Amino acid sequence: MRIGVIGTGFAGAMHARSAQGLDDVRVTAIAAATPEEAAPIAEEVRARIESEPLALCSAKDVDLVVVATPTHLHADYAIAAAKAGKHVFCEKPLARTREQAEAIVRACEDARVALAVGHVVRYFPEYQIAKRMIGDGTLGKPAIATLVRGNFPVGSARAWYLDPEKSGGVVLDLMLHDLDTARWWFGEPARVYARRLHTGASGLDYAIATLRFADRPIVHIEGSWAEHAGFRTGFELRGDRGMLVHDSRAASPFLVQAPGGAGSPAMMATPTLAESPYRRQLRDIFARVARGDRPLVDGREGLRSLALGLAVIESADSGKVIEWRA
Amino acid sequence: MAGVKLRVGLISFAHVHAAGVARTLRALDQVDFIGVHDEDAARGRAAAKEHGARWHESLDGLLAASDAVVIESTNADHRRYTEAAAARGVHVLTDKPIATTVADGKAMIDTCARAGVQLGIAFPVRSSPAVIALREAIAGGMLGTIRAVRATNPGQYPGRWFGDKKAAGGGAVMDHTVHAADAIRWLLADEVTRVHAELGSFMYGLDVEDCGILTLDLASGAFASIDCSWSRPQTFPTWGGVTLHVVGDKATVDIDVFRQALTHYDDAAGRAKLVGWGDDLNTRMIGDFVDAILARRRVPIDGEAGLRALEVAIAAYRSAEMRRPVDIAAVRA
Repeated sequence: MRIGVIGTGFAGAMHARSAQGLDDVRVTAIAAATPEEAAPIAEEVRARIESEPLALCSAKDVDLVVVATPTHLHADYAIAAAKAGKHVFCEKPLARTREQAEAIVRACEDARVALAVGHVVRYFPEYQIAKRMIGDGTLGKPAIATLVRGNFPVGSARAWYLDPEKSGGVVLDLMLHDLDTARWWFGEPARVYARRLHTGASGLDYAIATLRFADRPIVHIEGSWAEHAGFRTGFELRGDRGMLVHDSRAASPFLVQAPGGAGSPAMMATPTLAESPYRRQLRDIFARVARGDRPLVDGREGLRSLALGLAVIESADSGKVIEWRA
Repeated sequence: MAGVKLRVGLISFAHVHAAGVARTLRALDQVDFIGVHDEDAARGRAAAKEHGARWHESLDGLLAASDAVVIESTNADHRRYTEAAAARGVHVLTDKPIATTVADGKAMIDTCARAGVQLGIAFPVRSSPAVIALREAIAGGMLGTIRAVRATNPGQYPGRWFGDKKAAGGGAVMDHTVHAADAIRWLLADEVTRVHAELGSFMYGLDVEDCGILTLDLASGAFASIDCSWSRPQTFPTWGGVTLHVVGDKATVDIDVFRQALTHYDDAAGRAKLVGWGDDLNTRMIGDFVDAILARRRVPIDGEAGLRALEVAIAAYRSAEMRRPVDIAAVRA
């Protein structure tokens, strides 16, 4: 399978690198806002630079397009790729608005191409084990869960995150992982209540949401771009037979110290695994697409998680409880 | 004042904190621990013996001998004991929550004010050196404007009467919300204006909630959440804990009040246990109350603070019932 990647930020670079060495997969073309931005990654993975992202969407040497641009641009490229008959792997959130996301899903269905959405947490083993322990009853019936996810104010590194019209702020960009996880673990919630900061020039952005599922559990989620020490994730999952706790800061098998102090925080603390969750995600998506199977997180699933993120924003802005209908 | 001691009595061993309070009263230099009364005479007599305190069969007898009393009864009994003490001119330190209803809490404050005695509320979190350091950092501007607080006060299910709606006034919300609500008010010098809550009884088959997440709006525009759940399993290495994640414009601070602990892998118990080595917060809290009475100062945590925190819990119940956020003014008597 020949892969074209649009966007060379954290996600685009990660996907281009992660695809290296996968059987029957080759990254053939890389595009970014400018050819200069695309050049370092293109050179690293020995792909050609496509100077026009839209041209990459219909390039003859591409079977699947990875859309890893700023969020508000996902729909333009995903729809163009679908119309050109290319499979699409779109980063999360699927789009900035529900309308854009629905248009992407429709375009891919009409063109009969696969659409996968990058909810990569579903490929993290610690979250997969939790899912299994919920499913097999090890924890008993889920009662209450808290999920936290934070990073430094990323807008200080990449300005588009600062603009809620482009990124959706911390809720759509970061908290969405845990909203998707809550849906994956527990199904669809009944209602949502949330509060959030409004994104300012400082890039500080912080939100809390409470999801209530029809009977149980109660799920509390924190999304933070005020975690100045760097990326962290955690959860606490309590069922009536036990509790499961994860804290990324306590789970690193590799700690480094060097003269000169702590230095700048890493953008992402990738767990030290033989195969990273990002690569597992790619391998699974490519394998399913090659077999003609649906991706694990398909367009409909990505759309529902986006809609839940939008409900969080609606609740925070209106101060009201939002009744949730998936 | 050197050598002057406050005569302090202890009312009731209904509460899980009572034994610790008895040890503290015996240990404090400035306290003359004059005895114990309990509505359960057998329990009280045994406890008095265990702690080397005098047993008072009659409440009046204990009050007559006391300058102040500490109340460790069920939540519902706080009012009647407080009113009895006030009628005898005896100062009161009651465990939290102040009462089970806003009307009772308000009546206690009014009764004590009329009687000229002080009413103190046991919020030991305010005695944590870490929490005090955070308050000073906030006051000094180190965090900038505070935008949000995520507080947790989860614990094991305490059993006894804590799951009895009549005696406790509720479940986990009544037991654990008030500590965090008070800490937030005190740290930020702010007031809660609105409360949302999702509650559930999921783990112990109780008529009261064992799980709860509260979301608070504050007058300053900041917001906060409180996890008050009895979510700690029996195999958890300690009773529970108190944490505060505070987000300011200039800094984010994490407080874990009981983090100072050794991990004891105990083969005899079949599990690991935490052995705290931080300051004993009850000793500091009760000591500060006693010192204020002796010096004729206002006690550091008064009935108003207790009532403000209780209002948050009461609003949480109403919010959960109505499935929407509730203005705190709606529950204020």
